[in-house]
This record gives sequence, structure tokens and C-alpha cells, in this order.
Amino acid sequence: MLSPYGLDIIESCLTCKTRSERLFCDLPGAALQAFENIKYATAYPKGAVLFVEGQAPRGIFVLCKGRVKLSICATDGKTLIVKIAEPGEVLGLSASVSGKPYELTAETIDPCQVNFVKRDDFLRFLKEHPEACFKVAEQLSEKYNTACHEVRSLGLSHSAGEKLAKLLLEWSSRNGEAAKQEPRFKLALTHEEIAQMIGTSRETVTRLFADFKRRQILQAKGSTLVIRNKAALRLIASNN
Amino acid sequence: MSMETAIQQSCLDCVKRFDRPFCDLPKESLEDFNSLKSSGLYPRGTALFREGQLARGVFVLCEGRAKLSVCAESGKRLTVRIAGPGEVLGLSAALAGTPYEMTAELLDNATVATLGRKGLLQFLHAHREACLQVVNLLSQDLHVAYDQVRSIGLGRTRRPRASRVH
Repeated sequence: MLSPYGLDIIESCLTCKTRSERLFCDLPGAALQAFENIKYATAYPKGAVLFVEGQAPRGIFVLCKGRVKLSICATDGKTLIVKIAEPGEVLGLSASVSGKPYELTAETIDPCQVNFVKRDDFLRFLKEHPEACFKVAEQLSEKYNTACHEVRSLGLSHSAGEKLAKLLLEWSSRNGEAAKQEPRFKLALTHEEIAQMIGTSRETVTRLFADFKRRQILQAKGSTLVIRNKAALRLIASNN
Repeated sequence: MSMETAIQQSCLDCVKRFDRPFCDLPKESLEDFNSLKSSGLYPRGTALFREGQLARGVFVLCEGRAKLSVCAESGKRLTVRIAGPGEVLGLSAALAGTPYEMTAELLDNATVATLGRKGLLQFLHAHREACLQVVNLLSQDLHVAYDQVRSIGLGRTRRPRASRVH
């Protein structure tokens, strides 16, 4: 089925070809059938808000396609992007389990397919299917790991340059680029969004990119970034 | 707590377990946990585990407190929080099979029940109530971690934005 946002919607989890690669979705037959019965497949355009920080939890959102920006916000409007969620992630999980308000705001940055499950249905599903419960524990562990990484980066990094260098090295280590001499990756976020990921201003990010390019550490080819001098970037990341 | 204090050897006889989310398990689960865990008395200053070390298992703080911290390459250290009696430490890393995210160092002489990773996974697969309890604990840990991110990254408390959502 084609949706208005050009997404090829996966109507049934039972026939989804990618579920075996995804931590939460790779459930045994009975649990998968039970999940299929309680989920609502929905398509969202770019820029849709799935839930807002502070809102009482309605349920979980399994991201099937597209990416979602997870952020927190201060009273002065300053925003910090905690993570860019990728397909296969379950959003709103800890709030739905604990009953506490959502800790983050989730906003789509691509057209997305999301499977929504109401909180009561989800809690019942967890009680009835221990395998699913174990997978949820694994997902929560991953999220906790990411949150700790963020705490370390925000609390212990000395400068915006150090944080940006760490972020670029992390992105460059994906998609089999880690071992390459000059890893390359697509820069999918704006300078404003990168600034929100490392807790600095857009101007600082733009200045740092210009500085890294001038020093031949980075090279931009359209929206693709090439790390020309990995050693120099690592040195900046380790605050030396 | 003094080092001479007798260790509570059996979880089945522990009177404090009813007040502790992880320990308040059904009898059968508790018996199984009791047979899998080993208890020990550790002096103040002991590092139960270190950040970056591959997770060996979980540590249930029966008595005493532990400081959880992260460290930069420069040696600069940030205390994330202080864990108290009843808390389970190293849970997420042990479940995921990844390195510990933090260092846990005892602030008091403490009684700690340890359960190896293999035993933990076996235990959780066999006892759904325990697995649900672990999911609850991890959710709480995650809330605390996001509060830390908010407080360090934004230096403010949560914005009451939900009031504007209809």
C-alpha cells in the first residue's frame, strides 16, 4: 500500500521482511501475532510530533521507517537533541512502562511509518509474553547506554570543538566506514540541529566546520562529509 | 555499617525485601535467585565494577551506598548519582552484554549480592515477574539518566509543555 508521503507501508508485522534484523520486532510467532492484534500502523509526514515532553504516556511508538528526533527543552526554549532514532526503535518505552510523563519530545525528521500501541494493551502484552518483556529490557538497556553516553559527553567535554569531533567520529564509524582511512558519511542534519545535539549555538557549529575544513581535517562534497585527517579529529575529541 | 555485621545470607529471610522493588519477588522466583546469587561483605572504597569493563553480572546493594560516576580521558570525573540499598547496579550492561557505562564505588562497608550475567539471563528467561521488575527498574534508571542529561545539558528543570498539548 502506498501512503501520501511516498512510503511503502508495511501493513502486517507478520510479513515484514526487516523484522529479523530489529531487536524488538524479532519476536516468536505467538507474541508477534498478539502484537499484530494490538498495534495501529500509521504514516506521518516530516515534522510530525509523536509525543511531547511532560505529556502523560499514551503508549509506545515502534518506528518502522524513517527517523525521529528525540529532544528535551528548557524553559527558555533552548533545545537539546538527545538522539536521532532509527527504524526498529521503540519510542516512549520507559514512560509507558513506568506511567511517568514522556521524558522527551519525539518529532519525525523524515516521512515515517510508526506502529502505535496503547499503554494498557502494551502492559498486558508484556505480562503475557515474557519473550517480548525480555526484548523490552534489552531496548531499555540500549537507551540507558545512550543516555549515559550523553551525560558523559555533556558533563565532561571541555569545548564545543571536542563534542563536535566526537559526534563526527561516531557518525563516521557507522555503515562500515570505521576502518577506512578517509571515512565518509551523509550529513543528514542542519548546523542548527547539530548545535542542539552538542549543546552549543548554530554559529559555533558553522565556525567549527569552517575551521576543520581550513585545517584539512574535513572536506565537504555536497551533503557528504569526508574525514581527511582522522588522527587530528581524534586528537580534538580527546581534548589534547 | 561495621565490617563485623553478619551478612544476610538468604534472601528468603530478609525482612527488608518487601520494600525493595527488585527483591519483592514471588517465592519461587526468590528461591531461584537465592540459589544463583552469592553474597559478600565489601569494604568502603571497593569498586564493584569499572566503566568500560565488559559486564560480568549485576550487583544488588543489600546494605550500604555506592557512588556511580563517569570519567573523561583527561581523568576528570563526574558523579552521576548515589545508589542506595535495594538498587541493582550494572543491569543494563549485563543485559545488553556491553561494557559498564559507569564506575560503581562503595561509599560504605556494604553487603552486596552478585549474580553473573549467564545466571541473570537464565533467571529472567525463567521468571516473567522478575523480567517485568527489571523492565520497571530500567525505566526508572532511564528517567534518572534523562533528568541528568536535562540538568547538565540545559541547566534547567523540565518545561511544562504538556499543558499546551490537546
